[in-house]
Amino acid sequence: MPVWLREHSWRQTLTAVYLSLPLRGARATAANIFCSEQYLKVSIPPFLFEAILYAPIDDTNSTAKIGNGNIFFTLYKKEPVMWDSLTLANAAKEKLQHLRENAVLKAHEKAKEETEAKKITKQEHKKYALEATMKLEEEERKRIEDLKEKERQKVAKELELWKNQQKDGDTYKSIQKKGKLHQEIEPLKERKSEKMNQTRIPNEGTSKTRLKSTKGCPGSCSIFSQNLKEEQLPAPRSAATIKVNFTPRVFPTALRESRVAEEEEWLHKQAEARRIINSDLSELEDLKEEEKNPDWLKDKGNKMFAMGDYLGAVNAYNLAVRLNNKLPLLYLNRAACHLKLRNLHKAIEDSSKALELLTPPVPDNENARVKAHVRRGTAFCQLELYTEGLQDYEAALKIDPRNKNIEKDAEKIRHLIQGTMQSS
Amino acid sequence: MSVAVGAERPQVVSHVQQALSYTVFDCKWVPRSARLLCLGSAARGTGIIQLYELHGARLELLREIEKPKPIKCGTFGATSLQQRYLATGDFDGNLNIWNLEAPELPVYSVKGHKEIINSIDGVGGLGIGEGAPEIVTGSRDGTVKVWDPRQNDTPVANMEPVQGESKRDCWTVAFGNAYNQEERVVCAGYDNGDIKLFDLKTMSLRWETNIKNGVCSVEFDRKDINMNKLVATSLEGKFHVFDMRTQHPTKGFASVSEKAQKSTIWQVRHLPQNRDVFMTSGGSGSLHLWKYEYPAQRCKKDSEGSEMGVAGSVSLLQNVTLSTQPISSLDWSPDKKGLCVCGAFDQTVRVLIVTKLNKI
Repeated sequence: MPVWLREHSWRQTLTAVYLSLPLRGARATAANIFCSEQYLKVSIPPFLFEAILYAPIDDTNSTAKIGNGNIFFTLYKKEPVMWDSLTLANAAKEKLQHLRENAVLKAHEKAKEETEAKKITKQEHKKYALEATMKLEEEERKRIEDLKEKERQKVAKELELWKNQQKDGDTYKSIQKKGKLHQEIEPLKERKSEKMNQTRIPNEGTSKTRLKSTKGCPGSCSIFSQNLKEEQLPAPRSAATIKVNFTPRVFPTALRESRVAEEEEWLHKQAEARRIINSDLSELEDLKEEEKNPDWLKDKGNKMFAMGDYLGAVNAYNLAVRLNNKLPLLYLNRAACHLKLRNLHKAIEDSSKALELLTPPVPDNENARVKAHVRRGTAFCQLELYTEGLQDYEAALKIDPRNKNIEKDAEKIRHLIQGTMQSS
Repeated sequence: MSVAVGAERPQVVSHVQQALSYTVFDCKWVPRSARLLCLGSAARGTGIIQLYELHGARLELLREIEKPKPIKCGTFGATSLQQRYLATGDFDGNLNIWNLEAPELPVYSVKGHKEIINSIDGVGGLGIGEGAPEIVTGSRDGTVKVWDPRQNDTPVANMEPVQGESKRDCWTVAFGNAYNQEERVVCAGYDNGDIKLFDLKTMSLRWETNIKNGVCSVEFDRKDINMNKLVATSLEGKFHVFDMRTQHPTKGFASVSEKAQKSTIWQVRHLPQNRDVFMTSGGSGSLHLWKYEYPAQRCKKDSEGSEMGVAGSVSLLQNVTLSTQPISSLDWSPDKKGLCVCGAFDQTVRVLIVTKLNKI
């Protein structure tokens, strides 16, 4: 049950109402006062003061002063009319209620509007601040640009001045030169003729020819002075060569520090790959360095074949194959040895292996393939497997159609086949 | 490495940019003038020489000369100031000297090398130094040859690999130590990181070293003085500055090295007016301006009592990125301090001005 505050005093003028409300010891803050157009409430629990005003007031402009245990209201009337009393008398309860609610609603709305307005002003302030900073930065930038531009222009002007000086200097010099030379030409000519009578040095010879070829052109005056200077120059150096050694480098590209690690790794890998990793054959340890090289062994084998030592050649090729079984030439040559030794099956085997390794069939290994086919064909024929032999010979012919020997042999085999077919 | 302070740093101002219709390999100022030359290779496989003149804020094309073979490099170093003949090396190994007023036939021509001439340098001309005018060319065939324009067909010095030795490409050559009529050295850099110093007076190898990266460019700070400093730039963004005044019998020359960036440093060029300032151009299209500071004592004695050089330090004055493609050629104007031209592989040539060089 609130305690009503009834001891209030008021006075009025045409435009304003002054209301004084003593607070009985209670402390008031702005939050306790609620005012709308026609309704005024002060609520400081448990105290309560409420007034339905006689006429509407302008609540935004009205003020309330809190102090001295008193609230002093200055309410500005909407219409400048003298009021009969502060509050509306005879107000029905419902009307009161209605008015109260209205007042509350209105107050809410006002509050909302106020927050909206505040937001908008805040945004505008921000925008303004941003624009201001942008302007400042723009100015700074322009200032720097201007400085640079000024510098540039200054320098350009100096350059023009200098250039003009050069031009003037040049023309002045050339005029001077012409003047001087007219004086100098006569004695020079005398001196020249003197020198010509002396023994000719190649140096002089060249200068003389130059004089001849460019006579008459405007540069001739300079040639005279040039000749003078030339006679003072030392003769061309006597030719010599200096031999140069370079810091060794495997790669053809330029040396870069950042690539050195990669390059070292690559070289290391290459070295590893070339080394022999056949460690379970103990005989290999007894071999000399060169005997571990399949190319060297192949050469040895070829030499022995040429000398007729077919078994030795086969041995050499065997060892080479053990070291590196990917070289087709080894098999090819071994096939030839086996042919001579009449190990026909082995010859066929080796030629087949060689052909296998000689894929893909490119012009580079034509030669080798022809040989392989021919050797296999021969082996087949010697085993009397003429059809297979003919197949190989025809393959050889296909690769190398111009070889007469292969053609002849192919013909022979055909005859043989026809002969046996006829006889059987 | 220290960086110079704010407002007093030299600025690199891009003055003129000229788009070209060919790949430019070398650009050079014509001495005593505001003209520059661009040498390169056209798309159709011919060589181009273009002569431009600087007019205000633009380059005016004065002359265009086309030659049968693409041109890789050129120099004015061995010609007199009156004649100003251009010596060029081309992709076919020919060394030609042209009179730009009458460029139809070369004044001197020789098929010096079997493969492309990568680099060329000249000494004894332009009123600088003394002694005979000579041109040195370094080629992909591994040889470095010195030519005298008065002697046809044969070089006066030939630095070639020993019989049977596999060759390395020579990427750069430079003359130095030409302070009197007899003395001269040639420095050559190779793609396997070798730098070799040949003495032409004694016709021998004076010094060699390996800097672990292919050598793109070498230059002495001055050709016509007792050799003072040598800068060698390489792949992987490194360059070395060697102090050439003191040679130790085993350790050679003292050096300081700097890694400026990740990409190749294509060129180094010393400022003609100040031999301690040089500019390097990089594969990322950037230019770095450096200053060398000498140490308190340039040489000291080592434990056995022989003299050893002491290298100083290098500080970065300025750097600027002009292009996305490598800047392959760079040349300072010998007449105007701070004026330089650079050519890049984006087919543009740029004239730059470096300011505040007086304050260094």
